[in-house]
Parts: sequence; structure tokens; C-alpha cells
Amino acid sequence: MEYINIYHGVRMCGIIGYTGKKNARSIIIPALKRLEYRGYDSAGIAVINDEIQLYKMKGELEHLERILPKLEGNIGIGHTRWATHGQPIKKNAHPFLDCKKKTALVHNGIIENYMELKEELMKEGHVFTSETDTEVLVHLIEKYYKGNLEDAVRKALKDVQGSYAIVVIHLGNKKEIVAARNESPLILGVGDDENFVASDIPAILEHTDKVIYMMNREIATLTEDNIKITTLDGKEITREWERVDWSLEDAEKGGYEHFMLKEIFEQPSAIHRTLLGRILDMDETNFLKIHFDSIKIIACGTSYHAGLIGKYLFERIAKVPTTAEMSSEYRHSSPSFENPLVILISQSGETADTLGAAREAKHRGYRTIAVTNVVGSSITREVDEVIYTRAGPEIGVAATKSFITQLVALYIIAINLGLAKKTLTYDNAKHIKEGLRSLPRYAQSVLDNADMIKEVAKNICHAKDIFFIGRNIGFPTALEGALKLKEISYIHAEGYPAGELKHGPLALLTKETPVIAIAVKDHTYQKMLSNIGEVAARGSPTIAVGYESDEDLRKYVDSVIYVPTIENLFAPIPISIALQLLAYYVAKERNCPIDKPRNLAKSVTVE
Amino acid sequence: MKAVILSAGEGTRLRPFTVSKPKVMIPIANRPIVEYVVEALTKNGIRDIIMVVGYKKERIMSHFQDGKNFDVNITYVTQKKKVGKLGTAYALSMARDHIDDEFLAVAGDNVVAPEVISDLINKRKGTSLAITKSNTPSKYGVVTLSGNIVKNIVEKPMEKISDLISTGIYSFKPDIFNAIDLLMSERKYDLTSVIQSLIPKEPVKGIVTRGMWVDAVYPWDLLHVNACALGKAKGKTAGTIEKNVIIKRYVSIGEGSVIHSGSYILGPVIIGKGCEIGPNVCIYPSTSMGDNVQIQPFSLIEHSVIMSDVSIGPTSFISHSVIDDGVRLGTNFTVEHGDADIKLGDKFHKVKDIGTLIGEDTLVRDKVAASAGSIIGARCKIASLRKIEGSIPNRGIIV
Repeated sequence: MEYINIYHGVRMCGIIGYTGKKNARSIIIPALKRLEYRGYDSAGIAVINDEIQLYKMKGELEHLERILPKLEGNIGIGHTRWATHGQPIKKNAHPFLDCKKKTALVHNGIIENYMELKEELMKEGHVFTSETDTEVLVHLIEKYYKGNLEDAVRKALKDVQGSYAIVVIHLGNKKEIVAARNESPLILGVGDDENFVASDIPAILEHTDKVIYMMNREIATLTEDNIKITTLDGKEITREWERVDWSLEDAEKGGYEHFMLKEIFEQPSAIHRTLLGRILDMDETNFLKIHFDSIKIIACGTSYHAGLIGKYLFERIAKVPTTAEMSSEYRHSSPSFENPLVILISQSGETADTLGAAREAKHRGYRTIAVTNVVGSSITREVDEVIYTRAGPEIGVAATKSFITQLVALYIIAINLGLAKKTLTYDNAKHIKEGLRSLPRYAQSVLDNADMIKEVAKNICHAKDIFFIGRNIGFPTALEGALKLKEISYIHAEGYPAGELKHGPLALLTKETPVIAIAVKDHTYQKMLSNIGEVAARGSPTIAVGYESDEDLRKYVDSVIYVPTIENLFAPIPISIALQLLAYYVAKERNCPIDKPRNLAKSVTVE
Repeated sequence: MKAVILSAGEGTRLRPFTVSKPKVMIPIANRPIVEYVVEALTKNGIRDIIMVVGYKKERIMSHFQDGKNFDVNITYVTQKKKVGKLGTAYALSMARDHIDDEFLAVAGDNVVAPEVISDLINKRKGTSLAITKSNTPSKYGVVTLSGNIVKNIVEKPMEKISDLISTGIYSFKPDIFNAIDLLMSERKYDLTSVIQSLIPKEPVKGIVTRGMWVDAVYPWDLLHVNACALGKAKGKTAGTIEKNVIIKRYVSIGEGSVIHSGSYILGPVIIGKGCEIGPNVCIYPSTSMGDNVQIQPFSLIEHSVIMSDVSIGPTSFISHSVIDDGVRLGTNFTVEHGDADIKLGDKFHKVKDIGTLIGEDTLVRDKVAASAGSIIGARCKIASLRKIEGSIPNRGIIV
């Protein structure tokens, strides 16, 4: 898949399609707003009336809304784009039309063989207006269209290699929408006298909570009163709708300035939900009955950091050798002589690299478990077992409550694993469970002291570089702290194991480089104090994150972020929440667009 | 019609239960007080709510979010500063930009039945005020009526004037904001003073309502308010109930909770989600218990409010007590209950049949006894084998 390097191929787009009795524009534009977090460098809409009315615009959705006239018509499609192929300019925005302006199409994904297809189509006389891979789809459909749109789409897709979620309308079929998916998310919404197709549930939740999840290589044909699903090979499929149990309002900010802050403050109740019913009975232990000699945790980004903490938990609680790997690396690694249990972590369950890694692990014959937040997401269909984190929808691009609930899920797995492997006595397990029970309170306690963290943020918000150091379980916590800070505040931030400082990073320290040290009172505490000494000797401002009972800590550093004193095993939870708040307040001081950091999208559905 | 809910205050007289949450978020039968207000409004068709928030506003915002789960649209307005103890008029003035027509203003910190709101809506004329009868009028704004026109309103009078009190629920026209401005220029910031200032100028209608209106002024009042609300709670059981558990009358048990064998629960009792009760625990009326509460074997709990994330050790006896979030009690915690003189500030209050009041995240070790009327602050640490009397401040340590 070399093309990725050439085009810096990335991320995802938001798609919506509507057919029914209402004005299509009035459905599509609000739906696109709900999808905006998926991408926001251009947007477009196409509505069928006597002809296809097409409007698209570079930039955020507001730009499109400004130029958009009233549109008549009850069937249409819309798109918000995150550039993969081609610049984020108007001519590259979706929807695309064919040469005769009879077909309109939106697409999320990447067409791998688009160069050959494009050449061929151009030879046949098709005229291209953009640099995108998507445009070949609409011309292919034009080429095959003989009065039946579904057939044309089916034939076109047979020529295509790559990932796609597409939605197509045609002037010859004024009541019909055809949608198809392969490796890119797409769901169908079932309404009364109206039907929807969208890349994500929030887009349609205002109108219906009845959802059909589309599978790979499937085509759906929607009219206002019917939905027909077939495979790419033409076999008809019957699938019942499912009711979505979260509501649109969950996706709204509810008084908070940013989704991220709202989601940070939701963490105590999110932890409650993750724990609910799981620390009493052990229903989810089936997967532990099979034989494995190690654990491999595979994930990207923040989820990968959760995995790194999971490594400490599994080794400490269950004594099972564990490694954590990045999905994008694992899926291209070579198989070796091992027999691991594979745990895949993805908030959205749609992360392309993690999905690829899941398939690779399965291919190698390993038992797989997914830890995810989204019910019915793609990863749940790739793995043997699923553990849902139940964090509720997360809209802020920076992962917060999804991370904390992933950790809680990993604690639960670790306890069950320890009991199954008999490395944990019932008494120890009970003790850890009691610790888990009190986590919501510790989380709340950090939030109650948010003002203290705001003060620290003011002191460091002008820095160009900030280093986070930690030891033991504090090291991955430092990595996550650095990631949160850099992704939303744009300050260059790195996390290091404190012991590695003198092997390189010390050279980077100046009087203008704050160092944030995670200094919990575990067996590495004394060593961490000497590391803080090393840093202070270079004149760098020092900030420690430590337990509130540790009053002496003030003597060693310039400022302290205190978190409630907790058993060391659970320290990553309050510390991570404190560092989320720190990142948030620093970004706010710097006036950064916190919920939509530049160049990043919420879930990365392209490799 | 829009409604403004005033929920910015801390509720200092309810300490230690307001250490990290505003008074309006204290749970009564497992629902925050202000949720009763919201429900009373929706039952009267009011969907547009402006919530004035201030002290620990995140607690309110995280609970209601944009309101859709509660069938309302909520706009939050933040009160910028505190203006003394009674800043109700100032708080209301924060909502000015969102008001363009007749509206209701409602205090968020009382449990209110929908009838109170419907009485006000149906009988209102110009500026109107919902009034109820009270046995202890001296704690409130006392109203005297002439027919149905308010003749006078006095905040916490020393001598007995009347047993009619203001519920803090008003119907206003937008020009009330002019009257508020005028009063604030005289450094008066409460709605009672605003009403007083209106009396000579225009008729203010007083509407006496028989609908339920209960207020918790002091922390021990929570027990009575909770019992009133529980009387109306419907029984609904989810979770796992093991064999040989007896459940009688109205008992509600939340999802994911487990009631272990040999337990006996006599309603009205409400138990939240993810709780673990028993084996062999007795819960008697009128008790409510939040989420993620653990009660270990052979304990008896009665007439108490246990909030969330609380853990109660084996062989404990808890009666007529309020226990805040995250409190952990060791084995054999015993509460004495009876009449007590409780000192709050400089004043003594005679309180009937009271147990103990414990603030959030306090840790109590084994075999501790709490005497009637004792108050243990938030985040205290109490060593084993102690007897607690009087008040212990927040973060107090008893070794």
C-alpha cells in the first residue's frame, strides 16, 4: 500500500444520505454538523429536484451554509471531507458528478487502483474535474448505468480495489439511494416514510434510533419506505434493525465550553458504567479458559498508552508476560514462535490499523479480544470476544474518558486473568476490586481540584518544549500526558522513562524547558527524586505530580500538582485525569481549537 | 413559557454535604433536588429552561447536559460573582438576555410537586408568587396576604407574623429586570426585597398552593425530605436477587446490583446501580442508597440517606443518618440515635431523633460509635475504637 506515503493518505470523512418526504437540505446540513468532528476541510451537498443541485465549499461547514440557497427536493446526499487525495480545495470537495451530471456520489476511504481506472476512463472519453481518487467511482457508475442504479454500482465496485463507504443518487431513479461499504464505516437509519444512510450514528439520531449496521462488501438500496441489502455478488440479505441506546444529546456540549472538558468531567460516571456488574460476577472469563503463554496488546495513539499500562497490570497482577505494540507496526511484523492472547484496543472500533492488526492476529491463529467503546463497530466483528468500555460517545478529538475507561477495563481483565491463572488469591482480588470501586471518587476528587491545575497551566503555557518523565507504571502515564498536551496545545511534548534522561534527553533541557515528573511514592520514588535533582540542576522549571499526603514533595520542585493518595496500582487514573486537565487549560490559555486540533481527526479509518 | 432555575448557590447551611456539590445536586431518593424542579416544570409543559449556575456548576452540567434526557432544553448561564448569602435577584438578572416574555423563576433547591407550578401558572396575574404553609415559618420569607394580594413579605422574621411562606417560585414579566436593577443600585440583591419594593407600586398576587413543597435548610432536614420523596417512589427491580431474599413494599433496585442471600428489605427503599448488599443485611424504611454502594454482612440500615460509592463494614448499625459519597466505614460502625442539640456556627439547634452526618470520602476504621447529632466532616480519618461526639471539621483526623 505504497500510495500512503505518496499522498500522506489519512483519516476519514462524514457521509449522509436521505430519502423521504421532508426537505433533504434541512436534514442533511444539521446531520453534517454532527459529523463535522470527522473532518472539516471541505463540505458539499447534492439534492435531486428536476436536476441535481450541487453545492460545495472549501473550509468548515459554515462556509457552505453561507452560500447555500434554499433547495427543493426530498432526496440528497452530503459530505464533510478530510483531505486524503488532493488538496482541500473546492474542486476536490464531494459530492462528485458524472459527465452528464446525472449521478452524484460521496465517498469515504481510498481507491487504491484509481490511477489505472482513471486512465482507462479518460481514454473512453470521461472528463475529470478533480485530483481525487473518488471521482473514478462516479464515472464508473456512469459507464455501467443502464437504468438500474444498484446494478451499475455493483458493476463499478467490482472494478475497484480499496476501502470505501459510498452513497450514490441518480436522476433516473429519483426516489432511490444506493450505498455500499468496504472497510469504511456506514450505517443505515430506519425511519417512518424516510430512510437514512450515514457514516456515524449521531448524524441521524435526531430522526431515528433504529439502525442497521452494514457489513463489508454489501450494497444497500434505500427508498423512503424500503431498505434492501445485498452482497456485492448480488445475494439478498435480511438483517433486523437494532435500537441505539445512546441519545443525540450525549453528543452535545451541555454547558461546557468544549467537548473535551465535558468529557473530562464525565469520567466519574463513565467509570461507574465500565465497572457496572463486572466486579461482582465474572461472566467475561470464557476467553481465559483457552491456553496462551503471553499477552500481546495492540493499539494506536492513546489506546496504545492504555495498552502500555495494561502491560504493567497483567505482569503484576496475573504474572503473564505481556508486550504492547502499535497496530501499524504489528500488522506488518513477521510471525514468530509464540502463542499469545491478543487484546486490541480501539475507542471507535473503526481504527484501520487496529482492524488490520486484528485480522492479522486472527490469521496467525491467535485468540483475540477487543476493548472498544462502540457497540457494533467493525472490530467487534473481527474478534472472538468484546469488552465494551461504555464510556458513551466521545466527540473531542483528544481521547479522555475513553482512555480512562479502557484502563478500567484492563484492570478488570487483569483481575479475572489473575484468578484464572491462580496467580491472584481471592483475598488479593477482593482488595483490588475494592480499589476499583473507589475509583469514581478519586476521579471526582481530581476534578474538584481543577483550579489548582489551572494555575500550573498558566505557568507553563508559553513553553516551546515540555518533557514528561515517569518510572514504572508512571512511564506510560507520562507518555499519555505528553500526547494529550501536544495534540491540543501544539506545544512540543515528549514522555521519557526518567532513567533514560541521562542517555540523551538531558541535552535538550534549558531554563525554558519545563519538566513534569510523575512522582508517586512507590519503590522508584527515591530514584525519581534524584532525577528531579538532575533536571533542577540544569535550571529547568520542575513540576511534580504526586500524592496529596506527600507534603515534602514541594521541597524538591517548583510546583506540585497534587492528586489524592491512592494505591500505586491505580495511580495512572488520577494522574492521567490531572494531566488531561493540564493539557486542556494550557491549550485554552493558548487559544487553541481544543475540540478540533489541526491535522487530526477523531477516528482514523484509513491507514 | 420559559423558566429560570436558580441553582448557583452553595447551600452553606447544608455543609458538609456541599463540599464538592451545590445544594441542588444533593440526592433525594437518588435524584438531585433540582431534578424534581425540572420534572415539575416539564409536567406543566415547560421545556425551555435557563439554569443559572455558579458554585460547582460542573456537577449540574454533567448531570443534565443539554437537558434532552430530561425532555427539556437547558441553557446554562454562569453567575459571575457571589453577592452575599441571598443573591437571588442578582442570580436571576444573569438570565436577562434569554428572556423576552412572561416567565417563571424557580429556586432549584426545593423538592417541588408539579401542582405547585400548575397552581402558579393557572392563577397568575402580573407578578405572582407561590405561597405555602409552614410549621417553621421563621426560616423563610414570611408573607401576609390581603385577599390574594401580597401585603408584606419579611425575610426570617423574629416574631410570628403568619404561617404563610414564599416558595421562591415566581411568575414575572420581563420588566422585572428594571425593578431588579433599581434594587441592585441600592445594594440589595435578593428577590424578597424586589417583591417588597413592588408592593406599593403594583399588585403582587400571592397564590397559596397545596402541592408538596419541601425544603432542606439544615443537613438533618434531608432525612425528612428523603422520606417524603421515597413515599412516592415506584418499586422497580433490576439486578440480581439471590435466593432467600425477602423484599416487601416499594423497593427499587438498580441495574447491576446484587442482593445476596438472607437479606431483608422493607420499603420504601431505593437502591442504585452496581450495589452489593449482603449476605444477611437488613434495610428498613425509609432508606435510599446511591450507586456502587457496598454493605457487608449482618448490617442494619434504617431511615438513612446513603449516597454513592459508600462502603459499610460488617455488623454495622446505621439509623437516622446521612452519609455522603465515597465514605468508607469499617466493621461494627454503630450509630446512636435520639434527640440532640446540634451546634451550627454559634447557634444550637434542637433536633429530634437524629443519628450522625458524615461528609464525603471520610474513612472510619473499625468499631467506631457515633453519638446522636454528631457531624463528621468531609475527608476525615477516624481510627478504630473511637466514640465520636459533636462536630469534626473537614479533613479532621482522630487518632
